[in-house]
Amino acid sequence: MSDMPSNSCIRAMVVWWNRMRVMTIKEYLQLYRDRILIVFMVYAFTLEVFLAGSGVSMQLHNAALRVHDSDHSFASRELIHRFRPPHFRIDGEVLNHGESIDLLDRGEAMVVLDIPPQFQESLLNGDTTSVQMQIDTSNPVLGFLATSYGSQIVGQYGLEAAMKREGMSLNELATPIINEEHRVWYNANQNDAWFMSVVEMLNVITMFAILLPASAMAREKERGTVEQLMVSPLTTFQMMFPKVLAMTTVILVGTLITIHLILQPFFGVPFRGSLTLFMAVTALYVFTTAGIGMLLATIARNLAQVGMLTALIFIPMVFLSGVWTPPENMPSVLRAVSAIAPLHHYIDASLGIMLKGAGIDILWDSILAIALFAVAIYGLSMGYFRRQLG
Amino acid sequence: MDEAAMVNASQGLGVTTVESQEFTNATLESADSKPVAQVSKFRKTYGRTVAVDGIDLEIQRGEIYGLIGPDGAGKSSLMKAVAGVLTYDSGTLDVFGVRVDSEQSSEAIKDRIGLMPQGLGLNLYADLSIEENVDFFGQIRLIPKGVLQERKDRLLGMTRLDKFRDRPMKNLSGGMKQKLGLVCCLVHHPQLVILDEPTTGVDPVSRRDFWSILAQLLREEQITALVSTAYMDEATRFHHAALLFDGKVLARGEPDEIAALVPGRIVQAKAEPQAKAFALVKETFPQSEAVGPWLRVFVDDADDEQATTAVTSSMEEFRPQEIHVAEPDLEDVFIALLRRRGLTDDDHSASLVGNADSVSDGDGLAIEANNLVRAFGSFKAVDGVSFEVKPGEIFGLLGANGAGKTTVIKMLTGLLPPTAGTGRVAGADMRRAGQAIKERIGYMSQAFSLYQDLTVVENIRLYAGIYGLSRRMTRDRTDWIIDMAGLAGRGSDLSGSLPMGLRQRLAIGCALVHSPQVLFLDEPTSGVDPIGRRRLWDIIFDLSRNSGVAVMVTTHYMSESEHCDHIAMMYAGRVFADASPSELKTSLREESGQLLEVTTDKPLAALDVLQSGGFDGVSLFGKRIHLLAPDPSKAEQQVRAALGKKDVGVLSVSEQPLTMEDVFVNRVLALEKADEGKQ
Repeated sequence: MSDMPSNSCIRAMVVWWNRMRVMTIKEYLQLYRDRILIVFMVYAFTLEVFLAGSGVSMQLHNAALRVHDSDHSFASRELIHRFRPPHFRIDGEVLNHGESIDLLDRGEAMVVLDIPPQFQESLLNGDTTSVQMQIDTSNPVLGFLATSYGSQIVGQYGLEAAMKREGMSLNELATPIINEEHRVWYNANQNDAWFMSVVEMLNVITMFAILLPASAMAREKERGTVEQLMVSPLTTFQMMFPKVLAMTTVILVGTLITIHLILQPFFGVPFRGSLTLFMAVTALYVFTTAGIGMLLATIARNLAQVGMLTALIFIPMVFLSGVWTPPENMPSVLRAVSAIAPLHHYIDASLGIMLKGAGIDILWDSILAIALFAVAIYGLSMGYFRRQLG
Repeated sequence: MDEAAMVNASQGLGVTTVESQEFTNATLESADSKPVAQVSKFRKTYGRTVAVDGIDLEIQRGEIYGLIGPDGAGKSSLMKAVAGVLTYDSGTLDVFGVRVDSEQSSEAIKDRIGLMPQGLGLNLYADLSIEENVDFFGQIRLIPKGVLQERKDRLLGMTRLDKFRDRPMKNLSGGMKQKLGLVCCLVHHPQLVILDEPTTGVDPVSRRDFWSILAQLLREEQITALVSTAYMDEATRFHHAALLFDGKVLARGEPDEIAALVPGRIVQAKAEPQAKAFALVKETFPQSEAVGPWLRVFVDDADDEQATTAVTSSMEEFRPQEIHVAEPDLEDVFIALLRRRGLTDDDHSASLVGNADSVSDGDGLAIEANNLVRAFGSFKAVDGVSFEVKPGEIFGLLGANGAGKTTVIKMLTGLLPPTAGTGRVAGADMRRAGQAIKERIGYMSQAFSLYQDLTVVENIRLYAGIYGLSRRMTRDRTDWIIDMAGLAGRGSDLSGSLPMGLRQRLAIGCALVHSPQVLFLDEPTSGVDPIGRRRLWDIIFDLSRNSGVAVMVTTHYMSESEHCDHIAMMYAGRVFADASPSELKTSLREESGQLLEVTTDKPLAALDVLQSGGFDGVSLFGKRIHLLAPDPSKAEQQVRAALGKKDVGVLSVSEQPLTMEDVFVNRVLALEKADEGKQ
């Protein structure tokens, strides 16, 4: 309003600031009025994390074991009773081979232990004998665990039986034996709940970081309000950034709720590093992932398509994050993708901060990788956004 | 209350009813005294909202019964109930003599009914071809293969869709979709078809086509139709009609009888300065509007002379000129009925002026399109469009769906870069315009794009913030918009909960929050009731005359285009006419002649005779036929002679004023013919 250039400069800044302010407030109001979305968010940040932490376990618990004992000797009973809880549960005997296959087929038994006739006799005679274990490995992780526990038990028993026959006990150490000692770091009790609940929280953060800004933008496209914004003096940045800002803060609040109401009280997840650093990394990560959401919204025509595209992006992101399979086990192409995927770096950084107490001196490379991804994705989606109506 | 008393009561507040004596349409040889459908004290509520509140209707065999009313009047609820697909709260409903009150009874009538729901092609499958759609509807009705084939050929032939049998439905134009919808609901040879707003969103040419096909089909197949429309000017297409508003019947009867319910005259006059004269006239005659250069005033209970004198004396100081008197049309009657019953929103006389700071310097053009071209691939959506709009002018862009209107607006507002040509708005090239120029334009898109989950005030504040208004300005403009839009007391309502008319005025308010010099309105009145439309045009008039705002409007209501100072008509991406409405009408009159209205005792037979008799622009409107004649008196003789030969009795032949729809339809038909000739 004034002729002074400095004054008009100040005015332009006030207007700029005002635009950001009203646009951000608008996002908060719209989110606040979307009650169904709020219910969904509350569920995801509390109950879903809780369920993941308490319900899902990657350990072998009470695997149903059936025995086909053709020997019925002291030795066979000794071996059978070494399969015990918490890993195994003995569900009884089967009488023949057909029955054991049948039980495996129907999923009523996970492991069938088959002990041949003359088992004890062979051991006493010093002959080689064998036992058979049939294992349902439709879940490969559990199958693998059952196999390795089983072979450990059988091997141990075999070793003891051999030494006993030679009249030695294990303590005499007449034979060279490697005594293995292991130390469990960071999660001393190997408590699955820690890992599962934290990872689930990170997944929930990822999902909302894509979904919230994408659906906010798609809704504007669907209702035509985006045209109204585009004819206004708003820049592309002013249209997109307030959405990302609003959604990021909402997700950060959700994250704090999860940490303080679920992770710590229910599962006792330790927080060894700096909460501030974790929140800062989370903010960077959500901001980055929101860029993916924005890109989806520019491609999708409506809310339904946003939903489908989110699923399309989210699931591979989780698989490539290295949670289920370490990247080293992936084919080289996927490993390369995984190295770029921000969730992979975010999980590394988060577990590092929370469980290992790592600081920025160790995690800087993960943080840098996320930041680089952010630059790329925003460059892409802002360019796309300008072009979509052109 | 007997009928005479009811008619008398129409002067006051009662229900206005004109029961037709005997239904005497000569085309209905098989006229049966038993009505096809009878509705009595029908009431339907959705939660606490009353959609239909005590309606009585009787639909006779073989007629086209019209339900006319704005969105939300209760048309769809009533039609769905008649079709047996919606339960209702109270009242009775008899269709084909069956009392429809249960699942079972509605199943009993369904095979005799065809229903076409509202929305372009909503009952069709987008990815199926024309033929597959028809086959599907035939198969679910269990029509034997041979019969279906024959029926399909006949219906597709009549609707001229047979050339496009293999085209997927989604690639059809709006008019073609509606014709296919009609075919699909006629394929099982129903006795009653129920068509819910079949012409909404369809361009005028296709609308005329649709009506004539419908009339022909119904006559040949002895089918009864219940049709709804939001276009008041389509009432003439019906044999009987009911005017609905807010779930109640305002009036019913033959269209002529309804029109006669409110005695009065329309006086049109020119006066300078128009805005001041308008303000003055409005004090005496609440039902007045400014239409282009004219003032159009409804005078109650007066004959020609009384009406002229009354209007002239009300604005003597402005020396009214070129005074014409006319019969009110149905929209005038509709509004008059509402006004007399006090159903219009409280009269809004607050001055709309408040925009004076934005009056532009007056020189230079507000909008200038110079050979604009926009191609999508090899298809040219806009092909060399040029026009100019001065500050303070109302400019209308007319055209069918897909003619390129919205694309032109998008190029001018900077939403879409032109492939070639330039568009200048408020003195700046839109292609290179920075953010600053955007502060000078306002834009309202087709969808009245408001944030529906924000309240009225939150919406206004949002746009005020976007346009960088100071806190004090924001307060002033918020008050102004709430006052202008009649939203007092609703500031904290969610905008999604407002009725269409208010929503649209809020949207226009948001587009005006920064007092722009140029305002773009893309179909601002679709879905808005007649009263809402008039108020919108009052606002537009005020903006242009008192604040010097240039307004560019697209509309598919041809009658509304009369409000524009000048009009560009588009066809296939090109502007083929650019002049004022009266100039456009004059030139059509000079080229093709006067509009003659012929009333006969056998309208459909007469239509055949006249169409094959070499007359121009022959079109059926209910029982009347319109045609264009260069020499009216000679044409009248020819018409009488031709009809006399075929034993059709002529009741009357009269000259009628041309409407903008006549102009548009005749021009576009000529262009279409020329295009076909080229191919």
